[in-house]
Amino acid sequence: MTVNAKDRIRAKLLEGQTVVRILLAHPMHTGRGKNEQDELVPAEFIQDIRCWRNKEEVLTIKCGTATSRNPYFAFQLNGGEMGDVIRLRWVDNLGAKGVAETKVV
Amino acid sequence: MNNNIDQQRRRLIKQSISASTLALVAASGLVMPRLLLAHWPNDAFTAETLEDAILASLGEAAEVDDTIIQFTIGSPPTYAVNGASVPVEINSSLDNIQRVVLLVEKNPYPLALMLEPTAAVSFPFKTMLKVAEDSEVIAMIRADDKLYRTSRYVEIDIGGCA
Repeated sequence: MTVNAKDRIRAKLLEGQTVVRILLAHPMHTGRGKNEQDELVPAEFIQDIRCWRNKEEVLTIKCGTATSRNPYFAFQLNGGEMGDVIRLRWVDNLGAKGVAETKVV
Repeated sequence: MNNNIDQQRRRLIKQSISASTLALVAASGLVMPRLLLAHWPNDAFTAETLEDAILASLGEAAEVDDTIIQFTIGSPPTYAVNGASVPVEINSSLDNIQRVVLLVEKNPYPLALMLEPTAAVSFPFKTMLKVAEDSEVIAMIRADDKLYRTSRYVEIDIGGCA
């Protein structure tokens, strides 16, 4: 199965709160799983995710191997306005990086 | 004359040694910030027992017996067909939250997730976890240097730690 390599991030204003939903495209191999040839798949998983609202850092998420494939996160931010920029960066254990950005609607 | 050359040689050796030391220091100085940026608490995430994982991720603090954390796992709750993606939702009205951790007791490495929210973040927080087998799933919050703990038992049809 191929992973559609696109990180998705949505932010919506709802009753004065900013609701942020994140879906990252990442295989999240734990290092214990095997492929069709019965060989171990080396560990490859996101370790560190940071989120910003405009210039302010709001949340740090640190993941172990137990986060699902294509990690999903949802959380809320107090207040917020239309047009706020929500931004995130992730880093995995092999040093691969990703950035995703959206505007609050 | 001979003595003078000797002196020069000594100075040269000294200088080259200090230069190489400096280079070493500079190199380690350059490496350090990158390590700090990619700071990931390895000992906490590779702890194999629940107690070690909790201690390494939250530090020592008095545990408060309180059910102030609302916590649901699985859909429908307490049951999940596929262990590879078990939905989890944490809700709490606590203030001054320093850290939130999620642990799965029977996983090879119990610590699954660690959050460091600022005051701007409010709950609920939702995510998906891998759960290897039927297990207790624990949510812990460190707020005002106290630990709050809630756990739920979840049943898994297909193990999800591949």
